[in-house]
Amino acid sequence: MPASPGGGARAGNTLRSALTALRRVLGMPDYRAYVAHLHAAHPERPVPTERAFYDEYVRARYADGPTRCC
Amino acid sequence: MPLTILPWLALAAAGAVAWGTIALHRGETISAAWLILAAVATYLVAYRFYSRFLADRVFQLNDRRATPAERLDNGRDFVPTSRWVLFGHHFAAIAGAGPLVGPVLAAQFGYLPGTIWIVFGVVLAGAVQDFIILFASMRRDGKSLGQMARDEIGPLTGMLTMVAILAIMIILLAVLALVVVNALRGSPWGVFTIACTIPIAILMGFWMRVIRPGRTIEATLIGLGLLLLALVGGRWVATSPTLAPAFTLSGPALAGWLMAYGFVASVLPVWMLLAPRDYLSTFMKIGTILLLAVGIVLVLPPLQLPAVTRFVDGSGPVFAGKLFPFCFITIACGAISGFHALVASGTTPKLIRRESDARLIGYGGMVMESFVAVMAMCAAAVLDPGVYFAINAPLATLGGSLESAATVIRGWGFTVTPEQLQALAHSVGEETLLARTGGAPSLAVGMAHIFSRAFGESLTALWYHFAILFEALFILTTLDAGTRVGRFMLQDLGGHMWKPMGRTSWYPSVILSSALVVAAWGYFLVQGVLDPLGGINSLWPLFGISNQLLAAVALCVGTTVLIKSGKARYAWVTLGPLAWLLAVTLTAGWQKIFADDPRLGFLAHARATAAQIVAGTLDPARGARFIFNDRLDAVIAAAFMLVTVVLLVACVREWALILARRKTPVPRESPFVETAYAG
Repeated sequence: MPASPGGGARAGNTLRSALTALRRVLGMPDYRAYVAHLHAAHPERPVPTERAFYDEYVRARYADGPTRCC
Repeated sequence: MPLTILPWLALAAAGAVAWGTIALHRGETISAAWLILAAVATYLVAYRFYSRFLADRVFQLNDRRATPAERLDNGRDFVPTSRWVLFGHHFAAIAGAGPLVGPVLAAQFGYLPGTIWIVFGVVLAGAVQDFIILFASMRRDGKSLGQMARDEIGPLTGMLTMVAILAIMIILLAVLALVVVNALRGSPWGVFTIACTIPIAILMGFWMRVIRPGRTIEATLIGLGLLLLALVGGRWVATSPTLAPAFTLSGPALAGWLMAYGFVASVLPVWMLLAPRDYLSTFMKIGTILLLAVGIVLVLPPLQLPAVTRFVDGSGPVFAGKLFPFCFITIACGAISGFHALVASGTTPKLIRRESDARLIGYGGMVMESFVAVMAMCAAAVLDPGVYFAINAPLATLGGSLESAATVIRGWGFTVTPEQLQALAHSVGEETLLARTGGAPSLAVGMAHIFSRAFGESLTALWYHFAILFEALFILTTLDAGTRVGRFMLQDLGGHMWKPMGRTSWYPSVILSSALVVAAWGYFLVQGVLDPLGGINSLWPLFGISNQLLAAVALCVGTTVLIKSGKARYAWVTLGPLAWLLAVTLTAGWQKIFADDPRLGFLAHARATAAQIVAGTLDPARGARFIFNDRLDAVIAAAFMLVTVVLLVACVREWALILARRKTPVPRESPFVETAYAG
């Protein structure tokens, strides 16, 4: 258990970045990162729902060519 | 000389000692530790020196140059990613059934020839190919291999590359499906577990899209839990007198189910089946490979297989053909794999944060894949040679019973008893392990052997089925993803002839093109299932030849990139591997078509079959079908060779024109943009 709120937040951050890394390794979408990117780079664009983003991500990922080798 | 070189000299010396030990110990078993030590020392030295030479001198990677991930960052597929995470991503994408199955099959020559090729092939050829394609694609905004072939060499080459990729995919899917059929035939435990992966994946699909959108890791963990339940449940199904018969399927029946599965999976939306199953199988793949590495290091099993067997003369029962060229065709993915060029010019180049990261990801990722192949070789070599050949030789050679199999194998000079084979099959929860050609079952027996020694003796049957599940899971994912990619390529081609065909969401076109792709690989699958020589004997070499052909295309593109950017003096880094690959591929192709041995040459086999029909020993209708298949396989091998030669001529012509300054090379690299990242 975290000794202080600061430690808890740090542990939460570590877990979050570990999960982000795992998502990237497995080729999963990362909605949070995408929204952060939109806010930073294109604040004028509408933010898609998580489901719409997911649909578009997997559609594009498996349409592009072989994503995995034999 | 700086002192920092000393540890490297020590490492090189350790590697040399390990190689010497492996080479000089004949007729007595040695520990797998020597193989691991020799491989790892070679990898580290090659990575430190050769890949650095490639990165600094040949490619001149420049961290001041912004990568596509930085310039085109869209938060989705172009995202600057930390290099170890991307290493994991890239490795997960290139590792698959190939590096596991190929070495197991090539173990019929003994463990030594295959291991030498896996280790030296990768550091001099395979890793160079992956690295240069990743580099070239990274400098071209993440362009695919096909696009680069078209831009750098010409439209004909681009077109040929696309057709070759489609053809390779068809053969690959057929041979992988055959591996699954041979592993699951007559195995209710295996069939039940694998069948369960479909509803599990669909549940995961709904979970992460509808029930809890975006909770992909949560859904994958649930899926993993259910998968392990299915694995345990399989034992119960296999012992149930009512359920076991329902899940006991013949080869042709399994082939039919796989084709139906491939079709449905290609037509359904990606989120429903393909994406969740991809996550599940990638997770399993990385986990199991790590587990295998830990198991091998903990156990350091003695290698029972001889270093070199008598079958280097070409008389081997698993597949026909001499050590050269067939060792180098059979072990495709573990040493050099053309398919990797598709991945290295796919998602990975769009995620690289800094140019210098490409060295770890491109070269290092492939070295890691080679290590997986060495582990697969170890897992095969821990088997008793008699057991190895009982599992891998075709039924026609072994005869139908354990007694006949033991007699045949004793004739080859290996001791094995029917009781031993029976006890082994029983210990892994199977009726029989005879003639399960294709690599997966013998790898699973080897893995179960290692795991049960490392983590608990009583669980051998569970470990065996875990290993089968692990292999079948990602092979089916490849089947599913490959059918879909084939469908898109076909729709793309069809769209040139008739517009609506090209619409990827128009159902008539989706159904027609999916059916065509499934029919194409399904034809070869059924041919393999019914093949009297066991199917793997004809299909695996065809796959190996086609995969190495794609590697030749990739190396041609790489060489062209080097020559065009004024680095012709370094072109030997790709020309050397290219020359070797051409020698291997063309010799193997020629022998598969024209060799006089009916087990080796397609045409000789057709003639032998015709003679059997004339002699009245073979049903004419069946015989006619075998003859047609032999000729078809010969035509395909010839087509692959022809494509290789045409490509080579086109490239050499282009190189000669540029080198003779009769043609000015057009730079295709994206222009230099200074990075915004600090230091």
